[in-house]
Amino acid sequence: MKRRNLPLYLGLAILLLFVLVALVPSLFTSYSRKDMFPPWLGMSSEHFLGTNNLGYDIYTELIYGTGDTLFIGVTSSILSLVLGLAIGTLSSSESFVGSIFTSLTNMFVYLPKLVTLIVLSTFLGSSSFTLIALISAFGWVGTSRVVKGKIVHLSSAPFIENCTLLGYGKLHTVLHHYVRNLQDVIVSRFLAGATSCIMMESTLSFLGFGDLYHPTWGTMVNYAWKRGAMLRHAYNYLLAPGFAIMALSLSFYFLSLFFEKKQEEINL
Amino acid sequence: MTKYRKDIVTALFAFCFVIILNFILPRILPGDPIAYLTGFAEEDMTVKQYEYYEDALHLKAPLPEQFLHYLKSLGDGSLGYSYKKEATVRSLIFNRLGHTLQITLTSVCITSIIALVLGLSAGLSKSGSFDRAVTTSSVILNTVPTFMIGIVLLLFFAFHKKWFPYANLSSTGVRKGTVSFFLDRIWHLFLPVLTLVLAQLPSRFLLVRNLAANISEEKYVLYAKTRGLSRRTIKYHYIFPNIAGPFINLVGMSVGSALGGALVIENLFSINGMGTLLTDAVYSLDYPLIQGILFVTTAFMTLSIILSDGLCLVVNPKLRKKERTQ
Repeated sequence: MKRRNLPLYLGLAILLLFVLVALVPSLFTSYSRKDMFPPWLGMSSEHFLGTNNLGYDIYTELIYGTGDTLFIGVTSSILSLVLGLAIGTLSSSESFVGSIFTSLTNMFVYLPKLVTLIVLSTFLGSSSFTLIALISAFGWVGTSRVVKGKIVHLSSAPFIENCTLLGYGKLHTVLHHYVRNLQDVIVSRFLAGATSCIMMESTLSFLGFGDLYHPTWGTMVNYAWKRGAMLRHAYNYLLAPGFAIMALSLSFYFLSLFFEKKQEEINL
Repeated sequence: MTKYRKDIVTALFAFCFVIILNFILPRILPGDPIAYLTGFAEEDMTVKQYEYYEDALHLKAPLPEQFLHYLKSLGDGSLGYSYKKEATVRSLIFNRLGHTLQITLTSVCITSIIALVLGLSAGLSKSGSFDRAVTTSSVILNTVPTFMIGIVLLLFFAFHKKWFPYANLSSTGVRKGTVSFFLDRIWHLFLPVLTLVLAQLPSRFLLVRNLAANISEEKYVLYAKTRGLSRRTIKYHYIFPNIAGPFINLVGMSVGSALGGALVIENLFSINGMGTLLTDAVYSLDYPLIQGILFVTTAFMTLSIILSDGLCLVVNPKLRKKERTQ
């Protein structure tokens, strides 16, 4: 019993810690974002991760970057989820509209995602909102396919047929049967989406498409790289944001592991 | 229509989508299309220059005619003109494409082979200790962004241990076409390719493993096991032929995502490829060049999908038979 819940507790613990850091960053660091120190200090008890070329405390930057990273990642994964649900539902119908949306979904699978995103963000300029819009505009594809599959599967299920035979209205069937059965898909796609959106955001920010006024962890690595952290042997400046990204993605993975196991037990 | 033919049509649609996107973007966004298509700010141009560009880009013509001109530039292979670099986009990309493809294709091949070998072993004995170890490590590796893998490898192997070079694809002073040039190239390619393999392997491995695990539950596999056939025979003669179709598709799809990854990695390893060209174009706002790179990437992705789907038709006797009877 306890072993089964381990991923849940672990995932929640890491995620809640990050949420807390995002909400009250001042609780975790005694410096503000713009406190100046001598540049390129090494690791010490006063500066856990040293300071960067401008003399800002790297640990403080990391703490203050949490909010923006989480915000962009979670918002874009929620948007992708909503888009995926809508397009998946539309493409599950057997009409002409359905086939159009199915083709649209299949087409998006074949687009070179990263390069298209780079081109679009050069044209549209970089701000947090453009980034969210672009990431979700390309992040819905997987969800839409899974949702479509699930709905098509449900439509031919005996208990749905039974509802129709018993004379229940369409609204009742959708609300009480389709939605209930889609819940686990929604949860698992949200968690998977959060991970992939965070990865996408960090990659784009690393390439320099992030919002410079709201630096995320990816933007931090970009700065560290451009400002010569490698030659200065300030490896912590390069690696710390990476570990933060890894921990955040892992927390979402642990949660999805728990829900997957739970679903398996129900299905048995 | 079989699934594979449908896939090819969809891939071609995606290709057309990118072409139209490339055409429309500079024209519908707020701001003067000339600024987008030349990369120069409007204020910096004299009236004469402005008129010259307007004429050269056929911007006075109606939209359908502009589109035809655009298609023509794709058709004759020039892919447009970069006014910033004063060269055709084709010549700029063509110089760099080889380097990018060396990284991409090498890593796709290596990734596919490792994913296949590991995936078959793990899938055949699902939940065994080997499966658990490899699956857990690939899940952890999957949470690391590609550029982080590159940075870690670069820090450790190139800066700390100094075993591998940290930039370029050739040492200076090595003559082209000699054996030492070839060996030198492999030495330079090692870290970038390793980065891309590590970035791509987890998802490919998991897919092959799940495919193989599904087939392993079939009765003919159980029968093969009870006949006492070796694991090797079961893996490569019983399971592999049955997952060959999806596996080939997987390899075809990998080319596109590996190209994307290569663009990121080239910036880390300062390799003179399309990725550094793209970053250069992005910083200098050279829009025609950026669009050219998107076009070429999509073209390669479409080509690899079509090839892999075609190959699926060739290797699958069931499908071939179906085609003939239809």
